[in-house]
Amino acid sequence: MGPRTRPRALTATAPEPELSVPPFRSKPRFEQRLRLLRALGTGFHAASLTAAAGVVAVLGAIALLLAVRSQEAFSRFGPRFLSGTLWDPVHGVYGALPAIVGTALTSLLALALAVPVALGVAIFLSEFAPRWLREPVAIAVDLSAAIPSVVLGFWAFLVVGPIMGHTVEPTLAAFTGGTGPFAGTPTGYDVLTASVVLAIMIVPTIAAISRASLSAVPRVQREAALTLGATGWEATRTAVLGPARLGIAGAVLLGLGRAAGETMVVAMTIGNIYQVPTSLFSPGQSIASEIIGHLESALPGEQSGLFALGLLLLAITILINVGARALIWNFSSTTPARRGPVGRRTAALRALEERSTGSPPAAASAGAGGTGELGVSTVRRGAARPGAARRWKHRTMVAVAGLATILALVPLVAIVGTAFVQGGGAVIHPGFYTRELPAACNPTGGSRCPLGGIGPAIQGTILLLAIAAAVAIPVGLLAGIYLAEYGRNRLGRVLSFFTEVMAGIPSVLIGVFVFLLLIATDPTVTYSALSGGFALSILVIPIVTRVTEDALRAVPVHEREAAAALGYPKHRITLRVVVRSARTGIVVGILLALARAGGETAALVYTAFGSPFFLQGLDQPVASLPVLIYKYGFVSQYANWSADAWGATLILLVILLLLSLATRLAARAPSTDQGNA
Amino acid sequence: MTTKLELAELSAWYGPKQVLYDLSFTIPDGAVTAVIGPSGCGKTTFLRCLNRLHDAAPGARTTGRVLLDGVDVRRQDEITVRCRIGMVFQKPTPFPHLSIYDNVASGLRLLGVHRREELDRGVWESLVRAGLWEEVRENVDAPGTSLSGGQQQRLCIARAIAVRPEVLLMDEPCSALDPIATAKIEGLITELKREYTVVIVTHNLAQARRLADRTAFFYLGKLVEYDRTPELFEHPKEALTENYVAGRFG
Repeated sequence: MGPRTRPRALTATAPEPELSVPPFRSKPRFEQRLRLLRALGTGFHAASLTAAAGVVAVLGAIALLLAVRSQEAFSRFGPRFLSGTLWDPVHGVYGALPAIVGTALTSLLALALAVPVALGVAIFLSEFAPRWLREPVAIAVDLSAAIPSVVLGFWAFLVVGPIMGHTVEPTLAAFTGGTGPFAGTPTGYDVLTASVVLAIMIVPTIAAISRASLSAVPRVQREAALTLGATGWEATRTAVLGPARLGIAGAVLLGLGRAAGETMVVAMTIGNIYQVPTSLFSPGQSIASEIIGHLESALPGEQSGLFALGLLLLAITILINVGARALIWNFSSTTPARRGPVGRRTAALRALEERSTGSPPAAASAGAGGTGELGVSTVRRGAARPGAARRWKHRTMVAVAGLATILALVPLVAIVGTAFVQGGGAVIHPGFYTRELPAACNPTGGSRCPLGGIGPAIQGTILLLAIAAAVAIPVGLLAGIYLAEYGRNRLGRVLSFFTEVMAGIPSVLIGVFVFLLLIATDPTVTYSALSGGFALSILVIPIVTRVTEDALRAVPVHEREAAAALGYPKHRITLRVVVRSARTGIVVGILLALARAGGETAALVYTAFGSPFFLQGLDQPVASLPVLIYKYGFVSQYANWSADAWGATLILLVILLLLSLATRLAARAPSTDQGNA
Repeated sequence: MTTKLELAELSAWYGPKQVLYDLSFTIPDGAVTAVIGPSGCGKTTFLRCLNRLHDAAPGARTTGRVLLDGVDVRRQDEITVRCRIGMVFQKPTPFPHLSIYDNVASGLRLLGVHRREELDRGVWESLVRAGLWEEVRENVDAPGTSLSGGQQQRLCIARAIAVRPEVLLMDEPCSALDPIATAKIEGLITELKREYTVVIVTHNLAQARRLADRTAFFYLGKLVEYDRTPELFEHPKEALTENYVAGRFG
């Protein structure tokens, strides 16, 4: 397509090679054409700026709407809303403390569990693993990150919960004597389990970003450490971890933000009891899990309390994300020189200088012939002998990092394996893809339950993704173009920063926002496919914007300059040269963003809602695979619904993993052919 | 002069590509030996074979021997070899997150020196030897990267000599520097050869002439000529050498 359209573009603005017919011989026509191009350019600039500003405006709108609708709760309870421990809709008393503590406890504990493993993975992949192993393992880690949280939660609910309740927690209780944080009766659905599963969820994210920070350290830095006699681990510690520390800190904060805002995983593992946890074995509730579990049945007063919880969650995650982005963005800059009084070390070195006045070591050693005591005296020449301890430390660290990597890959294997075992029976029936859900049934005696299908959910997911794509792709592309091509100024940097923050907003809040905007305002309006698609598009737009921005920024300047030298106006350079040059990256990014939307649950529960039937209209509730897994696998439990949920899990997992794998391979393939193109 | 390093049929590969062919010559103790040659002739690879850094690169392989004081470096533990043979890179490589003090102390700490007085003394002496002390005596807690390019390079030299190596390898240490900074480093190298065997790779012929006692001319991974520096420049035996030092190609 490229070769055919490009010459046509040239004739519009530049002379043909054979100059027999100059295209703009008449001056008025040329100027008319110029005016048109200028108008188009201005219009394009304005449209892209609108899109970019719109993305950020949504962030403001979410905050505003939540603030307005939580007014009632805040004005009635004031600061007591934060410290109250009771949630009593009957008497209209609402306190946020249990949810706040639940969120803080689970996300921080998850972080404590995830960071060592994720750092091990990052260090192993960046520093220690053999070359041939790095790429496949890195892809597997990326795939772990592509597992939808509802699938992770469902698997955890049916597999991890029982293991924790029957084996891990009783063992912990026995070891610790059942005191302090390990007091109480282990049930398997509590703070500890939720934290463990959250940790499983955030390990791939933290590992991938940390690995990028480690790999960004130039190779020669490692070699500089090696030439000082460092072992492999010492080189990593001395030359790599230090420069990468801000990037790693940013990755850790991003992981914390994801854990704090995660809904499905926590809702399906924490036990859903609104109380301040007294031990790790206490069931509890997080902000997000409380909202997802109770918004549907909430009375108006209680709704206001839930929105107040949502506002708190928004504030927490924005703070964490701003911190993370600030760290990651600045991690290349060096720390400023310390000012103030002379430090101890400077003073100590000056004291050495004074003691040696008259015979500075350089002059003295010249006289001594450089053989003995003078010169650098701390280390005797040839005395350097690596202790066996140092080598063993290196080997131990390699082994630990390798084990962490294996550990990080276990959930992927376990989840895919369980999905095949549990869902394989359902998906081999052709009717599974076309039928509606069966009547709820548990087998009794010899009777067998009817096996249904997930036809409506497949239809709904496709429809929702189509709506999301139709909205998100144009807006995200325009916004990304603005940030990369027009936004090289303060406004652009601010918009770019908040686009990143927007990408870290918990999806449950996007669901609540759309619920408030479209559904809660008008009693005649119900949950609908349109609002679900809209929620997904809000989720996807910041991601599309970011990948577009990144891909466009990667296009070398000389391609733009070559087109500019032909007299191309800026908007044409952008659309015909830069976007085309970056199209692989953009397409891959869009597909990955849609893959994320395809597994999204929390944003759909109060927008598309879910339905057991095929589509009845765009303004009616619609089913989707993730919501089906949540509602029929977790909320209502019947044997044949559970079988359907497992089948849906398998289908969703296979599609999303294959899509992620294919896009990642596609993204890598051209980059090896064309160098840095 | 006694021999410090001896090369015996040293060959090196990156993957399937051979970059060094059967190098055999000796490098004397307490002198500066320069390696010159056009880009891509294997100068840097040669240097990296001496301290076994080449072995650490992916897909790299060597045959032949590098004898340090008569013992093959590949029969020695690589950490010991690298402590005995220090290296300074083309671009300055201060650890960007560390202060001037900690940059110099980093090698000492690896060797297990942790007592404050010993570290202070080692750092100060290294800074003085590297000719940097006068310029950093205001504040050694400033980041190493806050120094100018020439100062950073001398900081790297200070870091390298702090662990008291016997040989210093320098890979085009001045190619990223301006003439004044270059002159300082060259003066320093002349000082250092009293105590260290210096092997310097350079594309600057005048620099090799000024600094080196002996010069080796490499072309396409082969040793063309190796001689005392004045001999090699004034009376080259090979036509190829003559053309190169006369500036007819490069």
